[in-house]
Order: sequence, then C-alpha cells, then structure tokens
Amino acid sequence: MENKNDQKKVLVIDDDDNLRTVLTDKLNISGFETDSAADGEEGLNKAFHFHPDIILLDMLMPKMNGLEVLEKLREDKWGQSVKVMMLTVLEDTNTVAQAVDKGTLAYVLKTDHNLDDVVKQVEEILNSQ
Amino acid sequence: MPKENPFIRHFIISLSVFVVLLCVVVFSFTLIQKILVDPQKYFNTDLSPVETQFVVVYISLIIISVLIAYILYLILASRTRAELIARSITKSLVISREQFEGIYEGAPVPYITLDKKACIHNPNKAALRFFGVVSEEIEDKNLFSFLAEEDKNKAEKLLQRYEANIPINREEVRMITKSGVIKWVLLSVFEMSNPESWSYPPIGLATIFDITEQKKLDEAKTEFVSLASHQLRTPATTIKWYTDMLTSGGIGQLSPKQDDYINRVHKVNEEMIDLVDTLLNISKIEIGTFSVESKATNVQELFESVLVELSEQINKKGIRVEKRYRDALLNIKNDPKLLRIVIQNLLSNAVKYTPGNGTITVTLKQSIFEKVITITDSGIGIPKQEQNRIFTKMFRAQNARNLITSQGTGLGLYMVKSIVDALGGSISFVSEENKGSSFIVKI
Repeated sequence: MENKNDQKKVLVIDDDDNLRTVLTDKLNISGFETDSAADGEEGLNKAFHFHPDIILLDMLMPKMNGLEVLEKLREDKWGQSVKVMMLTVLEDTNTVAQAVDKGTLAYVLKTDHNLDDVVKQVEEILNSQ
Repeated sequence: MPKENPFIRHFIISLSVFVVLLCVVVFSFTLIQKILVDPQKYFNTDLSPVETQFVVVYISLIIISVLIAYILYLILASRTRAELIARSITKSLVISREQFEGIYEGAPVPYITLDKKACIHNPNKAALRFFGVVSEEIEDKNLFSFLAEEDKNKAEKLLQRYEANIPINREEVRMITKSGVIKWVLLSVFEMSNPESWSYPPIGLATIFDITEQKKLDEAKTEFVSLASHQLRTPATTIKWYTDMLTSGGIGQLSPKQDDYINRVHKVNEEMIDLVDTLLNISKIEIGTFSVESKATNVQELFESVLVELSEQINKKGIRVEKRYRDALLNIKNDPKLLRIVIQNLLSNAVKYTPGNGTITVTLKQSIFEKVITITDSGIGIPKQEQNRIFTKMFRAQNARNLITSQGTGLGLYMVKSIVDALGGSISFVSEENKGSSFIVKI
C-alpha cells in the first residue's frame, strides 16, 4: 500500500451508502485514514471531533445539505480553513458557484470521474500549499 | 377601387337634371317672349292676340310650376336621402363602437390603454380581474410600476423603451397584483394607430398574457428532469465506482474471465451515463432551461480531450485522424461545455460510422468573418433521400441502423443542432452514401 497518504485524514460525507462505502474503501486502500457520515448533521459533528485534513462533501443530502454544512464549517475557528472537495451527481452551476464562494477547492462530478481520479484529486489538494 | 358614395352619385344626377331643366326654362322663357311679341306668327288661331297671349302665359305658367315642383322635389328628396344615409352610417358606427367596446371589455386577455407617460386608462374587465382591483384603483397609475420588485430594473428599461416608441413584444416579466400575488406574464405594448380620435390621448395598447400556470408546469418539469437525472446517475455512479474497484485490483486480482465480465459491465454503464446525459440535455433544451455561459474557449484543446476519450475505438478500428488546426480557434469566446458536447457527438459519430482503416479529418478555420469547424469522415454517409431528416429527433438513417456494431438513439444530431442554435451558430453537412460525410459548424 502507498504510504505517502499515511496519517492524512479524510472525512466522506455522503448520504448514499454504496458510494460512501466504496469511496472510503478506496481511500483506505490508498493509505488514508478515513471516517464517514451519512448526512450533513452527522458529518458536521464528525468533522469537529475527527478534524480531517480534507472533507469530501456531497451536496444533496437529507437534514443538512452540503452548502449548509459548508456554511457551518466556515463559521468555526478550525473549520474555516479545512479543505473541502465537493461531490455531486448534478452539474448545477448555481450550487457550484455558491460552494466555490464558500471556499470549496474542487468539485467532482461523480459520473465523470473514476475512483482513481477522485483519489488523485484528493492527493493534489492535500499536497498543495 | 374606391367605394362609390351613393350620396355623391345622387347629388350629381340631381344637379345634372337641375341644369337641364334650367336650360329648358331659360329656352322656354326666350321662346315665350318671342311668342308674346307676335303670337299670330306662331299660332294660326281664331283667338284675338290678347287671348292668345293669355293662353300662352297660362300654359307657360303651368309648365314652369311643374318644373319648379320637380326641382323642389329633387332638392327635398336629395336632402332626405342624405339624412337617411347619415342616419345609417351613424347607426353602423354606433354598432361598430359597441362591438369594439364589447370585444375590448369582454376579451379574456387583459387590455389596457396607456397615455404617453404609460399611465393606465380604460383597463378592460380581464385587466381588472388580473390585478384584482376596481377601475379607480389603477386608473392613472403607471403600468410599469406594477412589475414585481425582482423585475424593477427591467421595468425602468421597458418604460424607456415605451417612451422612445419602441414596441414591447411578449416580454416575460413578473407583475404584482393587489393581493401581493406575483404572476408571470408576457407583456406587450404597441402604439395605437389613430390616437387623435380619442377623447384622451392614449398612445399605447398593453396586453397582458398570464403565463403563471405554464411557468409552474415548466418548473415542475425541470424539477422532474433533475430529480430523474439524479436518481439515474446515483446508481450509475455506484456501478462505475464498484467496477473500478474490482478492475483496479485493489481488493484482489480477478480471473481473466471475471475481468472481462466486469469490463463489459463498466462499458455498458458508461454508455448508460452518456444516454442519461443526452436525455438531460435534451430535456433542458426543450424546457428552455439551457443556459449558455460564454468564456474563453480553446477549441483545439476540446478536440484533443475528446480524441483521448475516443482513442480506444479509433485505435481499434485503425482510423487515421488528420488534424488541420492551423493555429485557429485557440482563444474564442464561447461556451466550452456546450461546444464540447457538439464536438464529442460529431466526432463519435464519425468514428462510429467510418469503417476500419478509414480517415477522419478535423479542420479549423478562423477569419474576421467566421469561425468554422469541419469534421469529415470516409464513412458510410447519409442516403440522399434521408438527408433532410437528419437533424430531427429520434431519426436514424437506414444504413446506420443496419450496422451491427452501431448503437444509437437518434438523439445526438438533434441535440447538436439545438446546441449550435443556442450558441447562435449554424450547422450543415455534405454527404454521399458509401463515400463519407462532412459536418460544418459555424460559430
């Protein structure tokens, strides 16, 4: 297994059980430490306790959607600087624009990206700065 | 031909008769005068000259009386006739006015006449119903002040247009009613053709066409499309990522047969994702929610990225791709996402319908007059009799359907044409069966 990602923590927040499972599995195989949450509320709680290096955040979720999670994160002292990558199945320019405004570093249109692409993008974001 | 006025005709006839009669009277007078001077010269009678004179005068007076009576009759008749005509014209005017008012008042579409400052006069019943008011509540108020807060900027522009006498044609705006309900409408304002004849000077006629229901329906459709697309994309992504995991060997090696099977699932799933994307795009086009976002676009880069995507099929069929980029279209203002869909569809068609070892040529041309993308293939071509239907929805040419290897929905070129239209460009083609096709996109 690759060691370069050791100790980097990734939090996957996605309401779809299947996608969440395969994504965390892939990230684990790639050497990341992962945690996951099935809705915005749970995701926000986990983020504050787990303090991940990057959050992979789905947009359409029950209880609290991705944009609301992002908003709450940016209100927090730790959360305002955490790296966030947006996951979405819909190319909705409006949502993307709002997410970018709130400091999303990248967005992944799930149907267009392979798992390898997603991992690559996570690594790129973590290695920047 | 101008319509003949019966009054004038009658007047001319009467005048002619009058003149003829007058001539007859004048002639008669002259003759009578001569007879009176020497009656014996004209009449061979036993009467004395005085008696003869009396008879002549008597007969003349009778003739003159008849003539005068006839002239009087003519004058009176023509006057009566004129009065009758005037009465009938007035009546038809009244009827026409009543009909006009009936149509104006009772029309199901709100009508409002406007003065030169766009103040409301004479709103019809439908207009009052639309705003939920009585006439006095909106009389003399500016029409454009009824545009909703969200369209205030538009209201100012529309007022300027109105004041500059530029017609407003089916402008989609939101208007606010008395109860505060916001309604979507198509607003049109046209200049009145004959303003002088009105008691106040209206110069505009506004029609308001309520499209709130259609808008709601459109929104529901858009919502449905995005929901359906979301529901279809999520399982497609699941299949994509799980097959990714299996083929990448991350969770153990597969046997060659297992690997082959998983790859087939993966490939079919990719085709399904493409189909969902196409359906989503077509729905957006048809609902009219397709938005064009112009920005700096590198067409060569778009071609390169699509060619990478299609490289597997291109290599498999041994197709030669000739690129004649000529440093054109490196930086143009366009919508790269939409243009990529156009290029992707045209190129993938070219690959699909070109037999093994064929050639595809991509030519880019840029001048101050036009920007042209041409994709030429040496493929099966489009049969002449089917060429006029090539951009219609769900249409596939017979020879394309006969290809065992080709799958298609008949949506691609329809979508391409719709997108090119939305981008303000044009698309055409030249094709000969069994020789190849050339698609020319001007942007």
